[in-house]
This record gives sequence, C-alpha cells and structure tokens, in this order.
Amino acid sequence: MSGMDDALTTVTLKVNRFTPRPERDRGARGGSPFAKKSGSPFGGSSSRNRRPHGKQWVQEYTLRVRPEDTVLDCLLTVKRTVDPTLAFRYSCGHGMCGSDAVSINGTPTLLCTATVADWAVRPNPLAQADDEGFRHTGDADDAAANAHEDDSGLGVIELAPLPGFPVQRDLIADIDPMLDQIRKLKPYLQADGVLATTSEGKVDVFEYLQNPQQLAKYEMLTNCIACGVCEGSCPVFAGGDAFIGPAALIAASRFVNDSRDTATASRLDAIDTADGVAACQSVRACSRQCPRGIDVGEEMWQIVARVKER
Amino acid sequence: MSPKHIEDMYDAVIVGAGAAGLSAALGALRSDAVKGLREAGIEPKILVISKLQPLRSHTGSAEGGIAASLGNVEADDWHWHYYDTVKGGDWLVDQDAAKLLAEYAPQTVINLERGGVAFSRTDDGHIAQRRFGGHTRDFGGEPVRRAAYAADRVGHQILHTLWQECVGAGVEFAEEWYVTDLVLDEQGDRVAGVVAYDTHAGATHAIHARNVLLATGGAGRLFHTTSNSWDLTGDGMALALAAGLQLEDAEFVQFHPTGLAHTGILLSEAARAEGGVLRNADGRAFMADYAPEHRDLAARDVVSRSIMAEIDAGRGVADPKDPDGPRDCVWLDMTGIDKDHMEAVLPQVVETVRKYANIDPAVDWVPVKPTAHYTMGGIPITTDGEVYRWIDGGDADAADSHRSIVAGLFAAGECSCVSVHGANRLGGNSLLDACLFGTRAGQTLAARIAEHPVDDPMDDGAADADESAVEAVDAAAVARGDALAALLSPVPADDDETGAADDNPYRLLADLGRVMERAVAVRCSAQTIADALCTLRHEFEPRAAALHAHSDTAAFNQEVTAIWEAQHLVTLANAVLRASDARHESRGSLKRLDFPERDDERFLAHSMIDASSDGVRWQPVHIADYPPQARAY
Repeated sequence: MSGMDDALTTVTLKVNRFTPRPERDRGARGGSPFAKKSGSPFGGSSSRNRRPHGKQWVQEYTLRVRPEDTVLDCLLTVKRTVDPTLAFRYSCGHGMCGSDAVSINGTPTLLCTATVADWAVRPNPLAQADDEGFRHTGDADDAAANAHEDDSGLGVIELAPLPGFPVQRDLIADIDPMLDQIRKLKPYLQADGVLATTSEGKVDVFEYLQNPQQLAKYEMLTNCIACGVCEGSCPVFAGGDAFIGPAALIAASRFVNDSRDTATASRLDAIDTADGVAACQSVRACSRQCPRGIDVGEEMWQIVARVKER
Repeated sequence: MSPKHIEDMYDAVIVGAGAAGLSAALGALRSDAVKGLREAGIEPKILVISKLQPLRSHTGSAEGGIAASLGNVEADDWHWHYYDTVKGGDWLVDQDAAKLLAEYAPQTVINLERGGVAFSRTDDGHIAQRRFGGHTRDFGGEPVRRAAYAADRVGHQILHTLWQECVGAGVEFAEEWYVTDLVLDEQGDRVAGVVAYDTHAGATHAIHARNVLLATGGAGRLFHTTSNSWDLTGDGMALALAAGLQLEDAEFVQFHPTGLAHTGILLSEAARAEGGVLRNADGRAFMADYAPEHRDLAARDVVSRSIMAEIDAGRGVADPKDPDGPRDCVWLDMTGIDKDHMEAVLPQVVETVRKYANIDPAVDWVPVKPTAHYTMGGIPITTDGEVYRWIDGGDADAADSHRSIVAGLFAAGECSCVSVHGANRLGGNSLLDACLFGTRAGQTLAARIAEHPVDDPMDDGAADADESAVEAVDAAAVARGDALAALLSPVPADDDETGAADDNPYRLLADLGRVMERAVAVRCSAQTIADALCTLRHEFEPRAAALHAHSDTAAFNQEVTAIWEAQHLVTLANAVLRASDARHESRGSLKRLDFPERDDERFLAHSMIDASSDGVRWQPVHIADYPPQARAY
C-alpha cells in the first residue's frame, strides 16, 4: 500500500451487469417472415419472454476507499470517475427513501447503509478446489488468507439486482410487482372520511383520538419504506411461488392494527388466501436485513394468528 | 407504474409526487368542482408525472415536525404563528400568504391525521407537539410547542399517507418519467403541456394538457454539501426559466449549520441543545465570540455564518475522511454529554455519526459544516397557486406594475415561492407550505378544469383553441427527441480534443457544487459572485452543452437524465448568482460581506429574475399587519 494515504485501502466491486436489447433489435431479428421462429415447440413464446433479452456480464471495478465508505459511495465514485454507464437506483443516501435495495454478496440490503468494511470479503483459499478437484478442509490457516491482504486490499464485494424481481438494467430491478401487491390490499386508512374545514380561524372537525398505547400497536409497521429487502430475502416470494409477499402483508397489518381503521374484517378476508398468509412458510429470512428494524417474520406470525383467530 | 396509454389531451398534469404534488392531486380530486364534474358524468383526466417512484420523494426525509397552532399541549394562537413566520423570514414575507399559512395550518394537520398519518400522541390521544426554533407565544415571547411530530420521521409518515390516499383515490402516475420541457403557447401566457422522457423505454413523449402544476422540490444539489437527496436538482425552477418565466427570491438558500462533514447528512439541533459545543481548529468554543448570550444555540443562520467566518479565517479543520482536502469543517464536541444520556435522547445523531463517520461522538469530536438545506425562493405563485410574471411598470412602485398570470400553469412546494418563508424559513413550515398550498393549488386547478373539461360532451369546438398549443408541444417533443438522439450518439471525433468524451454529468455536478459553495454558501460578496459567474460562463456552460452519454442504449440510461439535470443546475446557478449579485444588503440567509446590513429602504422587495440578461426586477413585499422590525432573538 506504499504511496497511498494511510486511511485508504482498496476494494473490488464485482457487479452483475445487464443491458437490455432495444425493442427494434428484437423485432428485426429473424429477418424474413418465413424464417421467423415461434419459439420452442413445447412452450411457445411465454418461456422465451420470461428471460430478459440483452447482454449480461460481470464487471470488476477496483477502487481506493476507506473502510467506513458505503457501497453507494463506491458506486457513485464509479459513475463519476470510471464508468458513467453503470445503472443503479439511489436518492436520499441515508436509508430513508428505499430506492437502493440490491443483493450484496447474495444478501438483499440497501447500498447506502452497507459499508465496505462490513461487506468486503477476502477470497478464501480454503474454498478453492485444487488441481484434482478436492477442496481442502481441516485447519483454518489464517496466514494463508492474510497473505492476500497486500494485493487485494479489503477484498471483494459482489453486487447483483434485488432477487425476486425482473432485472431492468444493471442493478435496477422492476419492483412494480411489489407495489401492485401493496396497492391491491387497499393500503389507506378507512374511517369516516370527514375532513376539517376552517371558518373564522377555527376548525370544525378534530383529529381521531388515539392514545400512545394504541399508536404503539402499529407505529413500527408505519416505518416500512417499501424497499423490497424482505421480499428479496423471502425464499417463497423470491423463489417465484405465488405469494403476495411480506411487504404487502406488512402494509395490511399496519391498518389492521390501527385503532382508527374500520375495515379490519375485510382486510383479514383479503389476505386469507392461498397466496396470502397461507403462502408464508415462517422462514423469517424477511426479518434479518429490514433497514427499518421491523421484525417482519414476527409480524407475519402475528397477522397469520389474527386471520386464524377470526 | 406507467400510464397504459397517453391521452390526446389531459385536464391536468402534475409534475412531482412529493408532499406538494400529491396534496395537489388530492386537493383537486376532493374539490367541489371535481365532485360536480363527476355528478355530470365527466371524469377529469389527471396524470401525475414523477422522476421517482412517489415513495422515494425527498419529503420522506423530513424529520422534525409540521407547525400548527393546535394548542394540544399548551395555549397557542394562529396569529402568533403568523407573526413568527413573518419575523423568521426577516420581513421579506408576503403577509397575506403567511396569514393563510398560519390560519389554515390546524386544518391541514388535522386532515393529514384523518388521512392516516401516525402522529405521536399526547396521553389523552391528541396529536403531540414539540418546540421548534423561532416558534413563540405572545408575538415573540417564550418558546411554544407548535410542531406536530411523528417521532423523528414526520416527513416519511406524511409522504406515505399522501401516496396511500392517492392509491385510494385512483390517481394515475407516470413514474420514473422526467419532464424535460415546459411548453407555453406562442405568446407565453398560456400553458400548452410538457415533454416527458420515459426513462424505462428511453423515449420522449408530448403530453398535452390544459393545466400543468409544477411540484418538483428544491435545488440543494447546487451545492457540494447538502442535506438534499441526489434528485433535488431544481428541475421545476429550471423548466420555468427555460420557458421564459421568472424566479422570485432565488438568492435565498437556507444552510443548516451542522451537516455531518461532507456527507451533508443533518445532525439535529438537539445535539447542541443537549450540550454539544462547536470548536475551531484551535479547540476554541468560538460561538461565545459571535453570540455571547445564546452561543451554540443561536439562530440557524447566525451559527452557519459564525462557522463560515472561522473557516474563512483559517481556523477550520479538514474532514478526517479527506485529510488532504479543504479545511472547511469545524468540530462538534459532544464529549461533555453523559454517554448514557446521549444514547437516550440523541439516538439518531449517535447512529448517524457512528455509521457515516465511523467515530464515537462520546469520545471523538465530530466534523461538521453548514449544509444546503432549503430554497426559500422559486417559481412565483399567487396564494391560489397560479404562476405569474411580475410586469414592472418602470420601478417597483409604479402604478402599472402587476402580476400577469400564466393561464393554466400552477406551482406548489419548495420549487415555488408564494413567499411565506421570505429570506429565511422557520423549522416546521416547509411541510406545512407544501401540503397547504399544494392543496389550495389543486383546488384552483380543479375549478379551472371544471370550466372547460376535456371530456365535456357539450364541447363546442373548443378543440380549435387548443390547436396551436398542441402544435407547440409536438414541436418541442420533436426537438427533444432529436436532442436525445444526439446525446446517445458517439461524440464527434473532432470534439475529442476538448475532452468532452471524458467528461460526464456526475463529475460536472460535483465540480459545480464546489464552485457554488465557494461563491455563495452562507456568505458572498460581489467578487465571489463575479468569479463564479465567470467560471460558469467559460467552463460550465460549454461543458454542460458538450455532455454526451457513454452508452447508446436508451432504456434506463441514467446518464441521459443526469445530463439534463446538470444542464438544469447550470441554468439555475446562473439565476441564483445574478439574483445574489443584485441584492445589495444582508437579510435572512443572504449574507453579503460587502453589504452587511439590512436595507429596507431599497430592498424590502422580492427579486424577480428570468433567464434573459435583462437584470432583476423588484416586486414590493405585501405588508399587512406587521411592519418591519429588527430581527433579534
């Protein structure tokens, strides 16, 4: 590390990239209408459409960083100084807007709250297969790992789009399916709907009363930023099974537990379906990385109980 | 979410989906005018276009509170709120607007609650309220608990609730669409529509509309260090300038004194309220030199200016994350606060410092610097949200000076200036402004829709009147499509020597932010402004014009949007610098080192600036109840 500032080290980002092929190219392929293929004789076009069309590759960027830099800092540096074509969503940069959920080393989390120090991993020589195809086990020899420190800095971070959602470009995934599922469960307060007006400086209607204990029953659930980390972590949802997903259920639960809401019965009916609470397998992977600290798995458990107790 | 198809003509297009844009959509749909239309079987065609999915809007980052004289915790009176707002704005506030803000604040907050906002509560179930700087009782007396809050995430709560209500109301969104052009008719006195770029498909669209409302937020990204998200690039303001309209009071930008060094992330004022002390490079607690009485708890603009004075005198420190960088920070020393107490009352501050500076505030001093936070100025609007031009009849007080309304064009929120914030915004008033004047603008817009709805079965050839407007939008869309094709094509070989191929909008943004920061952050003078204007003309304008995308795939090509954002910021920077240059006084957030005093004789007036080189026009401040006084706390 000679010649570098003391605080600086290096990290290598391995980014799974994808560039969609323009629509016109897809149409143009095939040339003559007689030669046009209708896809597989078994599945027709549907199986073909499921896979994204475009170019996929893995690109490595090695950067000088500080351990406390966030992965978002690193990607912004890439955009500014190395490769302005790299695409990823980001906005507030401090974990409130929910834009930048991706898969880091296979784990769904936010770019802006993940630090290099926490996520960089050194290649583990013990995990490599030798010439005969055997992977050595036995003594974990730290010296072997440390030998790499000088040339690989802090190591490698692997980035990919959020699992469970179709990739659109590089780290950008299409999270509309999640938002559609949230919208489907009527995610808005249903109460008397009367609004206040002002006359001569006085209002004619007051707030709904709700004491701090009633607020505490659902306040945590209102902190959801709809980032999709829980969905990408859920083996049922990300595995592609029919499941409305933890984010939509959290949104439903938020209103079920709000003392002001008058639609509890119909909300519980709406999630009492095969792809609703019944699809949750209580794996609880959804709780682990929630950036707002919601114990999503426990909340799932609670709402399942609410549905069953009806 | 993208619209299934684009209508030939919209009743209204709302640009932006934060608190102001969403409030406007709801205000319109809930209005008596729209109810009447629906009873007559006419459904208004309204589209909300947003460059972000609405839940990503920067409203969600607001922490502290929304001000309203609910009087839930102690006696309060909306007249006191009115007075505090005028005084906080250093008397550059239009008092008719501030009066509405204060009078309708309780209604606004109650309706947010009735929409579902999870406000913190008092023991008896009412909305809880806390103190906020500058909010007092009895016209400048003791501090009063006026800010309704939801822990330290009131903006998140409001944003999500407004979006949820829009879902309930069936509002149609075009998400991740970026508006590139605001189109007026040939005379420039009526709106024709917008050109929008669908970032998913990578295609531009002509959007014809009889009404357009701009609610695109602020422009913190003019500065390197800002609390604003990466998307606050002053788009609406730049669109207005490009369409030949004016900005009002563009020179007033509020800096929050304690951003966490170069991240710009806010460290709450509570850190100093609990005993945190600002120190310079020598370790001296310098606020005693500037504000002997209030010291570290003096008003925001006072503390920001004091920090800057220390830095300018060479007593700043470098951000430890960038030890060779500029010495443009000072220390926030929180080591005097008991460790357990700190964890208990400042959890968010402690977490932010640990997470983003990797230091322990109980042991280490924390690097801080003023961070660009809020643009008080913006697109001039009436109290009903209508955008106008100030027509100057010779001098500001001339009898034929007047506001000339652009028919069908509205604005709301931080991108607009109804002038409730004057020269300095009071905490808790920004969310209030966005929700309250957003709703009002939506209501005015609805009334205008009802006069002449697109789906009117009784339509009597009004379509003819639209024809020139339709052509204007189509022409702008074609021009923008051509510009897009040029951006996506490789840089011409003969341009390569200029370095244009190596430049990119992200780098330009960072460079521009540093220049603006040096020139006008917290303080400025004729010289700093002139230097920056020179750099802008000779470096940034040519660079911005020469930018090219480095990928020729249009779909999700973020660099294309970033290029347009960078161009918007350069346009806006020019207006901010020229407006700052024109005001030969110091007022509120604007500190002219060469004109250190407030000058009511000459400058109790709003600056009105457009993109032409005609210079600034001055619009008198509306004074109704409170004549100007010295602003002292």
